[in-house]
Amino acid sequence: MSDTPSRGPVKYIMPKWIRGPQDFVGGLALIAIALFALWASSDLQGMHGFSFGAGTAPRMFAVLLLGLGIAVMVVGLVTDGEHITTYAWRGPLFVSLAILSFAITIRPLGLVISAFASFIISALGTPETKWKETIIVGICLTIGCSLLFPYALGLPLQLFPRFLIQ
Amino acid sequence: MAELFSNLALGFGVAFTPINLLLCLIGALVGTLVGVLPGIGTIATVAMLLPITFGLPPVGALIMLAGIYYGAQYGGSTTSILVNIPGEATSVVTTLDGFQMAKQGRAGPALAIAAIGSFFAGCVATVLIAVLGAPLTKLALAFGPAEYFSLMVLGLIFAVVLAKGSVLKAIAMIVFGLLLSMVGSDIETGASRMAFNIPELADGLGFATVAMGVFGFAEIIRNLDAGAEMDRDLVQQKITGLMPTKKDLKDSFPAIVRGTILGSILGILPGGGAVIASFAAYTFEKKIAKDPSRFGRGAIEGVAAPESANNAAAQTSFIPLLTLGIPPNAVMALMVGAMTIHGIVPGPQVMQKQPELVWGMIASMWIGNLMLIIINLPLVGIWVRLLRVPYRLMFPSIVIFCAIGIYSINNAPVDVVLAGAFGLLGYWLIKHDFEPAPLLLGMVLGPLMEENLRRALLISRGDWTVFLTRPLSAVLMATAAFLLVLALLPSLRKKRDEVFVESET
Repeated sequence: MSDTPSRGPVKYIMPKWIRGPQDFVGGLALIAIALFALWASSDLQGMHGFSFGAGTAPRMFAVLLLGLGIAVMVVGLVTDGEHITTYAWRGPLFVSLAILSFAITIRPLGLVISAFASFIISALGTPETKWKETIIVGICLTIGCSLLFPYALGLPLQLFPRFLIQ
Repeated sequence: MAELFSNLALGFGVAFTPINLLLCLIGALVGTLVGVLPGIGTIATVAMLLPITFGLPPVGALIMLAGIYYGAQYGGSTTSILVNIPGEATSVVTTLDGFQMAKQGRAGPALAIAAIGSFFAGCVATVLIAVLGAPLTKLALAFGPAEYFSLMVLGLIFAVVLAKGSVLKAIAMIVFGLLLSMVGSDIETGASRMAFNIPELADGLGFATVAMGVFGFAEIIRNLDAGAEMDRDLVQQKITGLMPTKKDLKDSFPAIVRGTILGSILGILPGGGAVIASFAAYTFEKKIAKDPSRFGRGAIEGVAAPESANNAAAQTSFIPLLTLGIPPNAVMALMVGAMTIHGIVPGPQVMQKQPELVWGMIASMWIGNLMLIIINLPLVGIWVRLLRVPYRLMFPSIVIFCAIGIYSINNAPVDVVLAGAFGLLGYWLIKHDFEPAPLLLGMVLGPLMEENLRRALLISRGDWTVFLTRPLSAVLMATAAFLLVLALLPSLRKKRDEVFVESET
């Protein structure tokens, strides 16, 4: 993003002749996605007569994406562009873990435990978390969600662990 | 004309039922809240609240979701003016003069003008939707598959041209979105495509899931990058005297009118939407001002024009959705999702078969705007206090809320995992300066485009020139090509970038 200034020294992992690493890598990734889509749709039927088969449109768009990916990559090669900004690990890791733990626990353990656990895990995503207030807010939010979703909105969500109910 | 009034009467009849009034109020309140709090975008919120609307009747659901959208435009301005933090991207330019006015002790008039401008724009846009709705619907019914396909191509090109950043990368994102929309069963043959025998993928990727990932989760991860503690330098002094002076009104009225006109036009055009409208309106005011140096130092026109423009655009962007069934921006794409969930296929048929739905929603917009002006001005203090909620507490709450929301759409844990994966993808996209909005647009338009392309080619017996030989289709395609060439020309590119420079100062 042009409005997020890169902080600290950026490590040059790219060779010097790549003038816009951000676009270069972006283009490469698009090419990879396109090739993957081509492979994934290779078993589908193509054109028969005038009508499209199931695989025609996916392959068409995959080829288009391939071309665009190459173009983006070439732009990254020949014009000066942004360097790759550094990735943070803490935020992505804990937010992903929180999402994953919610997905795994919601069925067997129910909303109350699942939501509270995910809240705590995602709070690990920043060093600024103050645990006392986080736990209090987490409890309040869990109670709020337990009332809002199953009762106020009537969604079929299980609140407590399955083994406790049976 | 008589038809117009009977339609509006029907609409107000629907909108004035107590339950719909309540839903409209809830939508407006939630929208304001979202607009005030930075870090939760409109798109993520609408995606988050989709499941909540399951239990509601379709009209009510759409009224509420629409309320969130235009409510957010109001709320965004409040924080822009008072604390120099745009709650929404649409209010970025409002900070330039709004915050300066607040510093000079004129926060009250700035807020009032923003609200009045928004209300005026909302009224005009409501009438515009009502007037343009019926004729455009008739036009849409004359469209064959070839015309529809060309129209969507034009729409997507518009989205690219008006968007910020590289044209090439934006097109790549659209195609990526189109490709994602192919996952799942083929509409005609029922063959499973790129689903790898995963049962949850058999129905395709839900775009609420994708939207929540690339807009909700990705945004959170990105914000954590920057450090959770955002700089919140609140204007602490009490807001005194909401009423603008006579001179303020006289200065800002022409700006409001110009902003409304510009916003209405840009809202109808696909891809533009409210963000570009506010930028364009601000730039325009600055260009025609007698003394441009006043801008950035607390010129009231600099608040009035963009705030009117973003509200007008937010509302007129419903026109292509309601009449043609084509969503012009990502929020409208989610509205398509909401309609589909309720078994409504957006398009010209809706206006004919379910007039109470369309007109009820249109009428509710006017009511919602009235509610917003009442909600916003006296309650300003409460909204500002909300800003003191630190992000370190807000983001885990958003994560949980999003997770529950996605899970409850299909009761499928896999959806939650998928949204998480798209969150990481979205984070990567942001890091590489790819805009996620065209991706979502491509994903929503994908099935429609494929279906119409297939049908058009079937009818023409495989002849690809059909898109150029049918006059209406040819005009649409030519316009698209022309726009694309224009956008790639270096001289225009410079101009286009200039419009966005304001956002980075």
